[in-house]
Amino acid sequence: MGDIGFLLLIFFVILARAQDDSHIQWQPAKLKDVEMAAAPLASVAIDTGFKTYLDGKEISPDELASALTTLLGDTPSGQRNVFLKVHKEAKASHFEPVIAAISEAGGDLVHILEPEENSTKP
Amino acid sequence: MKLKRGKMLIDPPASASSDIAFTLIIFFLVCAAVQPETGLSQILPKTEEQAEKRDQSKNIEVTITPTSIVLNGSPLQLPAFSQRISAALKQKTRETDRIVVVKSSPDTPYPLWIAVSQAIEQAGGILTLELETERVINVE
Repeated sequence: MGDIGFLLLIFFVILARAQDDSHIQWQPAKLKDVEMAAAPLASVAIDTGFKTYLDGKEISPDELASALTTLLGDTPSGQRNVFLKVHKEAKASHFEPVIAAISEAGGDLVHILEPEENSTKP
Repeated sequence: MKLKRGKMLIDPPASASSDIAFTLIIFFLVCAAVQPETGLSQILPKTEEQAEKRDQSKNIEVTITPTSIVLNGSPLQLPAFSQRISAALKQKTRETDRIVVVKSSPDTPYPLWIAVSQAIEQAGGILTLELETERVINVE
């Protein structure tokens, strides 16, 4: 019984990992007064190689707006959270088109950042 | 002197190893799931390509370069910028006047950009990006 449960769990863990973005290499920027972020509907990341990913899959910034519009659907405003994970060494030429795409799709943008010491709000 | 021999350690039964592994995985999954993420939420007006139509004369303009932040033509560093933008936005009562147009040079680093945008939002400004659009013109 334990063996079956173990195998099922491994299966679901691998299935879930295919959809997440934990494999993406990036380092968050630090900022004072960051807040706890609510659960996202989508996650966009820019990695150390300055490639763009949507929910762990590589995507070009030109295709991002339409893909996000489909993903966010008719979700009401305030619940359309899109996490943006930008590698700290990225430049405006990398992240501005991505921010514009999230804005075009009507996403509620949340920059994922690391708090500077003793600066996290509850 | 003879030392008294302690009891030998007993290995758990091999049939229980999968159950132990199962419990350990559940433990690590729960630990990973409860790690909260921290960040900065940002409200951006929906992107429009008709940016030229808006009345730019009333909007505050901020230009970010890797070395400075230019507020309405005056180059500043971040602490001075935070004070000046707060003072400038205090005079604005209408929401449309609180729009701050941000232009960034292509090599602006993300940490500087996010610090400037946080200063604008903390001062009560509505951040709007002005992006450079590329146009290909063929000259024959």
